[in-house]
Amino acid sequence: MLENIPILSLLLLFPLIGAVVTFSLGKNPKAAKMSALVFSAIPLVLSLLMLTEYTQTSGGYQFMESFSWIDTLGIQYIMGVDGISVPMVFLSTLLVFLAVIFSWDIEHRTHQYMALLLVLELGILGVFMSLDYFVFYIFWEVVLIPMYFLISVWGGPRRSYAAIKFFIYTHIASLVMLLGIFALYFEAGNYNGYYSFSMETINAVSPFFSDTFQIVVFGALFFGFAVKMPMFPFHTWLPDAHVEAPTAGSVLLAGLLLKMGAYGIIRVAFPALPSGAEEWQLVMVIMAILSIVYGAIMCLAQKDLKKMVAYSSISHMGIVLLGFATFSELGIAAGVFQMFAHGLITAVLFMMCGVMQHKVGTRNIPRLGGLAAKMPYAATFMVIGFQASLGLPGMVGFVAEFSVFTATYDAFGWLLLIPVISVAITAAYYIWALQRTIFGPLTKEVDTEHIHDLYWYETLPLAVLSGLIVLFGMFPGLILDYIRPALGTVVGLLGGI
Amino acid sequence: MNIPLEYILVLSSSLFIVGAAGVILKKNAIMVLMSIELMLNAANVNMVAFSSYYGDARGQVFALFSIGIAAAEVAVGLAILLNLNKLKKTVNVDDINLLRW
Amino acid sequence: MDILEYAWLIPVIPLLAFVIVGFLGNRMKDKGGLVAILGVGGGMVLALWTAFEILTTGRVYEVSMDWVVLSSEYRLEIGVFLDNVAAMMLIVVSFIAFLVVVYSTAYIHDQGPRRHRYYTEICLFVGVMLGLVLANNFIQMFIFWELVGLCSYLLIGFWFERPAAARAAKKAFLVTRVGDVMFMIGLFLLFTELKTLNFQLVWSALDTADAATLAFAGFFLFGGAIGKSAQFPLHDWLPDAMEGPTTVSALIHAATMVNAGVYLVARAFPILTQSAEVSLFVGVIGGITAFIAATMALCAPKIKGVLAYSTVSQLGYMILALGAGAYMWHFGHYVEASIAFGAGLFHLMNHAFFKGLLFLGAGSVIHYVHTEDLNKMGGLGKYMKVTSITMLIASISIAGIPPLSGFWSKDEVLAVTFQAGDANLTFMLLWILGVLTAFMTAFYMFRMWFMVFKGKENEGTKHATEHAHHKHEAPVAMLLPLVVLAALAFGSGFSLFIGDGFFGSIYYHEAHVLSIGERLTDVFTSPLTYVSIIAAVSGIVLAYFSFLKTTVSAEKFVSKGFPKAMHKLLLDRYKFPVAYDKIGYVGLYGFSLLLDKFDRYVIDGIVNAISAFLIGAGGVVRKAQTGFVQSYTTLLLAGVSLIIILLYVVGVLR
Repeated sequence: MLENIPILSLLLLFPLIGAVVTFSLGKNPKAAKMSALVFSAIPLVLSLLMLTEYTQTSGGYQFMESFSWIDTLGIQYIMGVDGISVPMVFLSTLLVFLAVIFSWDIEHRTHQYMALLLVLELGILGVFMSLDYFVFYIFWEVVLIPMYFLISVWGGPRRSYAAIKFFIYTHIASLVMLLGIFALYFEAGNYNGYYSFSMETINAVSPFFSDTFQIVVFGALFFGFAVKMPMFPFHTWLPDAHVEAPTAGSVLLAGLLLKMGAYGIIRVAFPALPSGAEEWQLVMVIMAILSIVYGAIMCLAQKDLKKMVAYSSISHMGIVLLGFATFSELGIAAGVFQMFAHGLITAVLFMMCGVMQHKVGTRNIPRLGGLAAKMPYAATFMVIGFQASLGLPGMVGFVAEFSVFTATYDAFGWLLLIPVISVAITAAYYIWALQRTIFGPLTKEVDTEHIHDLYWYETLPLAVLSGLIVLFGMFPGLILDYIRPALGTVVGLLGGI
Repeated sequence: MNIPLEYILVLSSSLFIVGAAGVILKKNAIMVLMSIELMLNAANVNMVAFSSYYGDARGQVFALFSIGIAAAEVAVGLAILLNLNKLKKTVNVDDINLLRW
Repeated sequence: MDILEYAWLIPVIPLLAFVIVGFLGNRMKDKGGLVAILGVGGGMVLALWTAFEILTTGRVYEVSMDWVVLSSEYRLEIGVFLDNVAAMMLIVVSFIAFLVVVYSTAYIHDQGPRRHRYYTEICLFVGVMLGLVLANNFIQMFIFWELVGLCSYLLIGFWFERPAAARAAKKAFLVTRVGDVMFMIGLFLLFTELKTLNFQLVWSALDTADAATLAFAGFFLFGGAIGKSAQFPLHDWLPDAMEGPTTVSALIHAATMVNAGVYLVARAFPILTQSAEVSLFVGVIGGITAFIAATMALCAPKIKGVLAYSTVSQLGYMILALGAGAYMWHFGHYVEASIAFGAGLFHLMNHAFFKGLLFLGAGSVIHYVHTEDLNKMGGLGKYMKVTSITMLIASISIAGIPPLSGFWSKDEVLAVTFQAGDANLTFMLLWILGVLTAFMTAFYMFRMWFMVFKGKENEGTKHATEHAHHKHEAPVAMLLPLVVLAALAFGSGFSLFIGDGFFGSIYYHEAHVLSIGERLTDVFTSPLTYVSIIAAVSGIVLAYFSFLKTTVSAEKFVSKGFPKAMHKLLLDRYKFPVAYDKIGYVGLYGFSLLLDKFDRYVIDGIVNAISAFLIGAGGVVRKAQTGFVQSYTTLLLAGVSLIIILLYVVGVLR
């Protein structure tokens, strides 16, 4: 039934229309919220339709749309999804929808806020769906702008520092990436005799690139993606950005923007430059392991709940990279699954940070304590989120983590012992944080008299996310069955070296 | 009876040099603006000259365009100067250094 | 109808109760207590039926399906595996869980809306614990293993507003987590080596696998058991875990969850047998744990503290037996090894019954006097007849006096350790430690019993008896489980003589069937039996004289010299809590603070330095912007002229 509907273009179109409509409703915040809700719900429905219509068993791209855009430069508007992008598209539409609900109490410039969320959705979906390097890059940059404004307008006290740092840091990374993309474009063009930005065209000739070329260009692309993920030592923009960003901004930043980096590696860097990837394997493994352990240890030291969660993202994205760096079907599938899992879990965590900020007025761990007595529902969600994030079996993160580590032992043997330490450290910081925030005697540092438990617009997203965390934790196959068949090509390329 | 091209080029070059010297040396912004017009006209002369040299009317058409645009530009330039005069009570270019560090 | 087809329902029923209580319990009048009883009871009925079927027919039943396909090579299964060991565990877990839930309805009666959380978590715990027992592969076991850990964490922190409870919950989770990480490493090793984690497939593939990998896998799997079963050096969380409600201590930290570690060792037994070093290590850890935990129990000031150390100590016995068994199997003593395997599990079963009883009895006492301090009790025997008698039975049983259940299994554990001493002298040392432990066990149990139920009435007792409404025993819902468990604590040892006998039903590869007469001769002709009986009796006698008759004054004994220092060391729990704090708080947290500085000043410092350099460079370069239009123009003209001249010189314009 969907053969004739350009579902991917519609996925891009509705957030765009929604952003315009929402922005024009400046006079009436309530209408703006409703419009944002509707226009973020439509892509969610579309992505659910896509999930059901997608044929899992075939590996290639589906729902392809292709139009020529700028012929002379070989730029085309090509949209298509495979098993790697389908879960990401679903995750994006879901998180934006929930972020809109969670931001129901935004009163400052509501219409602009909501419109920016929708623009962000447009950019992220574009990144996950476009199969043309030029269009990919455009969407990649589109994402930066709304996030910059979200941080710099609705952010905390040091928002302008954080926003500029975020923008410049990731923008420099994108420029280096752009150089890499141009290099690919010209190299593939020279080989083919015609120039095209199409990913499939370029990837098809990737085995013929010289080794030196692959190493240099992979370095450029990898830098771009590693900053975005972010990997140690390019991570310092992340804690700053998160600490200052509004809750919905953090949710989308950690839940989706970081995934763009990992997605870039698996969608762009690996297929286009397989032997370059081979040469960089050691660097990737070291960076991944450092990020995992370093991020985890950093979490222990944090006093700000949100900063702790931000560092934990670095640690968990390290697991993604570690999975990719094994170059095995198991590792890469698990890495992609971990991207999805982390998106769900980290959204809960950042929402909980937002709840703390709103209800208690502070996220400073030493000033909290005993809050389970005042807000039992919030405490329940916090326990669920923290336990999910520390890899409790039965929740979505476990299978991914377990598989990555299995793949790591398979590929690198005893090197496994270093990253696996993080499993214990992760438990340590989360459990310690739980003890100091929601357990123990009720804090006297802040006025706890009027603390209210969750409102509906907070409960709803948290409940949906928790439900999905458990659902996909018990049935990881629901997502993994999309991912696995799609990896044939990339694993074949990497294995063929 | 054709005037040799060289003569006209010498004329336009002199015109251009006079204009350039005016732009560099004159302190009065109005004079600078007029000097710019001189340089522009030098270019126009060149265009017309080459147009007749090659027997191609396009050069003259471009000259007409150029004259039209120059008029618009002068209007904008004079408007800026008027405002500057109002604001700073001067049209001396050395006193107008808003872009200075 | 084959009941085994429905075995998968055993964990599902309590889990269903968990869902119902979790979502609807708030609206029920008893906050879900009845649903919890029904759920756990339903699970129990099915579990007992299943276990009966397995034990009477000797069947091994497995059903399995793919849970998640990870890649073409790796897939995770989910399924049910039932053999004699699982059947025994089913009986122990489901039965004690049911009794504890019944007991809870009275014990936490005064907790108001909180009961809702209690019942929810208890149902979840029972469900996942039964799931753990039914697992047919290591990963499924690990999943439920972690979930029981979560329940334990939540229930220890039941009174989360008490700082001690919050701390204890954290400690329990983190210390066992260290073990879990080792368990995970073991799984990674096994999984990559054998491409499967299914019990039967693993067991049958051992001969062809790489020996070194297997040895490491066995070592790391045992690491998991060290954490969960509170073995040295990760034992210190269990005494702290007593901050939870006593029912939780009874169910989770005495009778079921801590046995999961022993169960894991039983499941990994074939892997352990592959390596002499690892089996020896298992035995040594078990022996050391049994001994040091018993020493700490000698002077524990709280009633639940004594029981907690005692639990650790008895778990050490079980591990010791399994280690000795694996060691003997490695060297070809198959019959002895099989008996050792059975002995460990036999002790697990008996221990679950009498320790469950002891904890529930302690709960009844605490319910009455509202204190856990032994020094504040005394003379309670005349107010709490049922409790005191049932606890006496349990104490005699754990002390190892025939014919109560503890005697049979402890004697068997010591006997197999002694036999393993033939193969390696280390086990002889461990046997000596075991006998000393038996002596200390008898002593501390009776110290506790005398201090609680006999002697002078101290302030706690007085205070409790002054309140009129308190002058009665615990309610029936609490006494009934006590009586049932007392019967089992008395008689579960007789399972040696039922049918083929315990060792004829629960064994590793080789059933050891003896008739009643043969078994009795076997036990009572061995001099070892008398050694352990003498140890137990002398422990009781010493306790009698020092705590009831006070002819031997314990206080005087520890008032000076070496005994005093030792006493202090034991009260400090061999400084283990301090060491944990040093590692965790000072070591790890301190390091993290340092790293935080590094992050802020070095890594972020570099980033900020780059941007500061660029801004500074801009400050220098912008001085070239004089703001004089005419100088710009001059430069412009000069530049263009230069380009033209250059082009002319180069020859482009010529």
